[in-house]
Amino acid sequence: MGRYFLKRLWHGAGVIFGVTIIVFVVTRLVGDPVKVMLPLEATVEQRAAFEKQLGLDRPIPVQFIEFMGGIARLDFGDSLWQHRPAMQIVFEKLPLTLELSFLGIGLALVLAIPLGIIAALRPGGLSDRSTVFVSLIGLSVPQFWLGLLLIVLFAVQLHWLPTSGIATPAHIILPAVTMALPALARMVMIVRSSMIDELNQQYVKTAFAKGLPFYRVVGIHALRNASLPVVTLGGWELIRAVAGYSVVVETVFAWPGLGLTAIQAIEREDLILLQAIVFTVAVTVVLINILMDVVYTIIDPRLKLA
Amino acid sequence: MNRSYPLLLTSLTVAFVILLAGAVSAQQVTIALGSEPTTLDPQLREDGGERAVNDNIYETLMVRTPDGKLVTGLAAAQPELLDPETWEVKLRPGIKFHNSEPFNADAVVYSVKRIIDPKFNSEQISFFETIKDAKKVDDLTVRITTNGPDPILLSRLYWMKMVPPGFSQDPKFAESPVGTGPYKFVHWNRGQDIVLAANKDYWGPAPRINEVKYRFVEEPGTRLAGLKAGEFDVITNLLPEFTQQVPQAIHILGLEHPIIILNADGGPTQDVRVRQALNYAVDKEALAEGLFEGFAQIAQGQLLSPSFFGFNKNVHAYPYDPDKAKALLKEAGALGATVELIGTAGRWLKDRELLEAVAAFWDAVGLKTKVRIFEFNEYLNRLFDRKTRADAIFVVSSNELLDADKSFSAYYRAGGIGSSNSDQELAALIDKARTETDFSRRQALYHQAVKRAYDQAYFVWLLNIEDIYGVSARLDWQGRVDAKILVSEMRLR
Repeated sequence: MGRYFLKRLWHGAGVIFGVTIIVFVVTRLVGDPVKVMLPLEATVEQRAAFEKQLGLDRPIPVQFIEFMGGIARLDFGDSLWQHRPAMQIVFEKLPLTLELSFLGIGLALVLAIPLGIIAALRPGGLSDRSTVFVSLIGLSVPQFWLGLLLIVLFAVQLHWLPTSGIATPAHIILPAVTMALPALARMVMIVRSSMIDELNQQYVKTAFAKGLPFYRVVGIHALRNASLPVVTLGGWELIRAVAGYSVVVETVFAWPGLGLTAIQAIEREDLILLQAIVFTVAVTVVLINILMDVVYTIIDPRLKLA
Repeated sequence: MNRSYPLLLTSLTVAFVILLAGAVSAQQVTIALGSEPTTLDPQLREDGGERAVNDNIYETLMVRTPDGKLVTGLAAAQPELLDPETWEVKLRPGIKFHNSEPFNADAVVYSVKRIIDPKFNSEQISFFETIKDAKKVDDLTVRITTNGPDPILLSRLYWMKMVPPGFSQDPKFAESPVGTGPYKFVHWNRGQDIVLAANKDYWGPAPRINEVKYRFVEEPGTRLAGLKAGEFDVITNLLPEFTQQVPQAIHILGLEHPIIILNADGGPTQDVRVRQALNYAVDKEALAEGLFEGFAQIAQGQLLSPSFFGFNKNVHAYPYDPDKAKALLKEAGALGATVELIGTAGRWLKDRELLEAVAAFWDAVGLKTKVRIFEFNEYLNRLFDRKTRADAIFVVSSNELLDADKSFSAYYRAGGIGSSNSDQELAALIDKARTETDFSRRQALYHQAVKRAYDQAYFVWLLNIEDIYGVSARLDWQGRVDAKILVSEMRLR
């Protein structure tokens, strides 16, 4: 087990390293924060002075060596936009993104299992067809639109929930639901199809034949075997939530997490902050993957970590 | 799993109670800004969010009335020009910072020296580059000296916020600001909100709103929803198409001017008749109505709003006259010529739409317009390219000093960062105005510069865009031409 983790971490480090280098190169190729951050009417001298102040007038290789040294110390330097350490900003924002992502995907998982099972019990029946239909809608709706729709309905029309922000626990409900719905739609489909497969297995028929109660057969024996693909998808959805959905959902709901910060850093061409964000997200993704592997062995002890 | 439902319900109920409790605070106003301040040090950054908050906490020696007139603020009287490079400012007596530090000549000298200190590295330095030094004469008199004559020093002083000499050296200063203004800082929850409270000891008229809360909402649709749901009282940058949906839409002529820079040194636009034709060809009225729902005014043939220093009221927009445009193009032998129009998309309100509409107007009078839209960085490369100037470049100019110098130096003056002409006579007028300290002589110079650029049609002047705010039904507020959001000018109905 210990050796396995070392190996995974080693692979993960490779991924993280590769991603950060790509970000370094791409941001320096396409972006020029000096031009974007100063007012349009700034003079040539003001631009040169600003470039020097940011340290962007130095040769790229020098910047790169400093950058690599920074990664080793987990210090990417000060954000060009906020003028405080980029990692400090990231550590401030990351918990909010993780909270939203885990809650959203957790919610999706909790709802997907019963809905998927109900649909699978009678394939082609009314509950099955309506589940599939609603899931397809869930898959097709753009998330930003869904978020705004929920705001208009629950905040503007019904006044049940706040539109945006993080002041109270109620503030997380709409963003978490927006995060959950597309994932829920995909997960329901997977739970449904793997349950249909399992329920047709001989052992299920045997279990029923020897008089085991319904909930034990379906809820324990079949579900356990059907849950591997669900866990795989769940991990993947969690990764997408942290690294992708969060950008859209946090922007719509003014949720001050890493996704919103990433958008703001891109708008301001804050190379330093962007590097820190991408690095952190890459680390999170690698860790979630390792976590998923552990969950596999708990669900199915036949699988060995190798 | 079953346990999570009661938990959710409980937190929902708790949240409701908190929400209701928050909603009934009568004299609190909530303002939604597009971005959170990066710091609350008022002298350090060029940051719209910071400015919006600190404009209520800090004050300046000179201020502007809502319609843009420069009047005294912390200064007791109009500053006096002792010699072309020295201004004497008398201060109002008896004013204190929120932490009881006195506001006096020492505070002014300290504030000036702090912001111009190269080691301080202020991003606002471009506003104050001409300032050389400040000296105390007596407790309520300060002399400010400039490098060479600086006629717009007073406009600059309207940007310089006065900080307390003692507390501003505390590391906590950037997170807990202390000024002389009508509102005092209460708290800042990063990512969430900033709260200010009325300053009971304010030297001027007592503010009518007790408490202000700032929220930070990037997405315009969410800001709109928050206003409609009653969470916000003021939202900024409301889109023109949403003005029908909000309780009140306040609109006021702003500081932004979309214009098209024409290349006077080469290509088809080298001929002044072609440049004039490009002006006659565009129906600016239609642009203002069609794209901005009327929330824009026609630019009067100059890169200035009527409230700006240097505005020439005898110069008017080129009228929409496609026949005249065609005739001029024919005369210049330019019918059917290709004009390259460069711009960007998504940076400014309706930038792409404006470009495409202008191109259609130009095509209608017999030109072939090639619209090229670039990503912002690449677009800037072309705007700033001094060697090869494109035929026509779209840009939105913004001018916070409300004075011709900044826009003219950048776009009108030969060699300016975005100029496309080599008119030395025009450049001489602008240079002369820059150091002319006599009010009316300086105004006359700008009037000449405006007229000359207009006759030569160095630009296609399009519009002067209005700032639009969405405002709740209970709030009484008119907005300001300088786009400041001063809570002391608001009142609850």
